[in-house]
Parts: sequence; structure tokens; C-alpha cells
Amino acid sequence: MSRRQVKGDYIETETGNKVSRKANLLGTQNMVLGGKVVIQPEVMIRGDLVRTAPSSSSSGGTAAPSTTAIQTGRYCFFSKGVVLRPPGRRYKGQFSHMPMRIGHHVFIGQDTVVQAATIGDHARIGKNCVIGEFAIIKECVEVLDGAVVPPNMVIPNYSIVAGQPARVVGEVPEGGGPDENGLRGLYSTVGNNPQNPDM
Amino acid sequence: MSTAKRQSTVPAGPKPPVNFSSTVTIPKDAVLQGTHSITIQSETLIHPRARLDSNLGSILIGRRSIVQERAQIGVEPQNIDTAIRGGVSLGDYVVVEVNAVIEAGGTEIGDGSVVQVGSRIGSGAKIGETVVLSNGQQRADKRLADARKLGTLKQINVVRKMIRNDQDKFK
Repeated sequence: MSRRQVKGDYIETETGNKVSRKANLLGTQNMVLGGKVVIQPEVMIRGDLVRTAPSSSSSGGTAAPSTTAIQTGRYCFFSKGVVLRPPGRRYKGQFSHMPMRIGHHVFIGQDTVVQAATIGDHARIGKNCVIGEFAIIKECVEVLDGAVVPPNMVIPNYSIVAGQPARVVGEVPEGGGPDENGLRGLYSTVGNNPQNPDM
Repeated sequence: MSTAKRQSTVPAGPKPPVNFSSTVTIPKDAVLQGTHSITIQSETLIHPRARLDSNLGSILIGRRSIVQERAQIGVEPQNIDTAIRGGVSLGDYVVVEVNAVIEAGGTEIGDGSVVQVGSRIGSGAKIGETVVLSNGQQRADKRLADARKLGTLKQINVVRKMIRNDQDKFK
């Protein structure tokens, strides 16, 4: 019975992903977590919404269609209540969801709904945001709390966006180390054996 | 080993009387509760973790509508002073997106409307056809109604294959 005590609130995978037992992951077979990803309680990830249209690049037709719905990089952090949902649209007369790609060191704040096509490395998205379908967020972008990024918007590198609908309001200052989001530190503070936040 | 302990994630409320068309797609982790009836018409698609609450009045969802995950329909009105008695009725081809909240109390949403991510529709609101709402604002949808309806239908036909239908659980 001692095993029950060992069992914590998080499931830790071999690659160091920490997934809360209270998260709702659908279609886990279609998800690729890059390692050391944190998924907090009440996060919902819709891996079941896979692409049904054939990929335009694989015109050979022999390759099996890739069924990865959501792919993330290393050290991503999904706060409580986040919803990740692959965007869908009509493509050549057929409706299909498209895969969502998330880079390394991406932070997503509480209760944000993400339907973006791509989120670049080191992006930081605040809480209560809505990222519209097929939005493309490039590297090091900062989305402030409560922003509503409209569908199909492309946010260039190093911009700060805010507002409803979101607009570019500034630029992320130069500098910052390779870990400006502090996600390595944050990673070690959650899980079954959390470390102290002070380095 | 912990299956015995983790059986009820949903508090056991009264099971509402349901009236589903046989072509409705509803997964087992959708949440239906309340005492009034819940009617869902043909080819409508409910996503997992959508929440339909008929404690305050009956819920009617029209044909070929989509209710996405974490949408809540029939919740208790936030502002009790202006609240009205009654349920919720959604028309045909209505899309209720993620985290949207529709309060109970004679709330009516017209055909082809889209209730966007995170918006909240107050008690007694009557929303006409083809209106898009996002965060307190609304605008008319400029696309052709027929094209949009076709898009919704195509979406339903694709997504219903991805969601495991479990109608019987609610009956």
C-alpha cells in the first residue's frame, strides 16, 4: 500500500514531461510532447482532432498521412485551464483540422484557449487570452493577459501584443538569456517532488 | 488500482430527461444535469466536457449545431435582478465555441449564430440569425448563410467520426 503514497498528482514520463492527473487529454496517441513539458490540472488538449485532408507536400501519395495533431517543444508550460485545440477549416472542399505546432520554452497562462497554427520558441502567452484559429505566433512574442488574437493573424518575432482584438503594442527588449521565460525554474517547481523556486 | 476511488468525477445530480435524435453525437464525458428536459435534434454534435444544465429550464438544441468543449449551456444567471425564468433554446446550425457560457432564462439563439470563445450570453437574451459574438461585442456575419451552413455541416461530418458517440449513457 506504500505505492499509493508515492503516486502523486502528476504523471512523469520518461522524457520528463509532467502531466497532471486532472488534465483532460484526448487522443494522446496524436500528441508529441517535446520533453520536460508541464501540463497542469484542467488543461484540455484535443489530440483527437486530427488532420483528415492529405498533406499537400506529400504528393507522392505513398506516405501515410501524419496523424500528429499537436506537437510541442521542450520546456513548454501549460497553466491551469488551458485549452489546446487544433484549428480546422475547409480545404479543397473538405473540412479538416490542421496540426498545431508549438516551439520550445513556450508559456501559456491560465484559461487561455489556443487554436493557433504555430507558436514559436520562447513565446509567452498571458492568462485569459484567446488565440484565434490559424494564428501564427513567431519567436519570442509576448501576448499580454486578456488579449484576443484574431484568426489568421501573424505576429512577427519579438513583438508584444495586447487588446481585443490584439494589436502589436511594442517590442520585446533585446537581451535575456536562453531561458528568459524562466521555464526551467518553473519546471522544477511542479510535479511530485517540487523543488524550491529560488534557483 | 485506484479505479474504485476515482469513479465519480461528476457529482451525482439528477439525471435529466433527454430527448435525442438518433443522429446526435454526444460523447460520454459530456455533462448533462438538471431536472427539466434536454432536447437535441438531428445531426448535432456535442464535444467532450460540454456542460448542459437544465436545472432552471428546459434546453433545446436545434439541428446540425455544434457545442464545443467546456461550453456551458443553461447556467445560473450572473445578475439575479435581471434574470428571467425559463430555459435555453438554440436554433439550427448554431456553433457554441470553447468556454462560452449561455445563461438560462428564456435565452434564444437564432439559426446560424456563432457564440465565440469565452463569450457569455445573459439571461433572456434573444439573438437573431447569423450573429457572431466575441467578448461582449456582436457583428453580423458577412459570409453567405448557405456557404456557412455548408461549412458547419462538413465540419460535423468530419468531427463526428472522431468523437465516440455514447448516447445511451444519458438515457
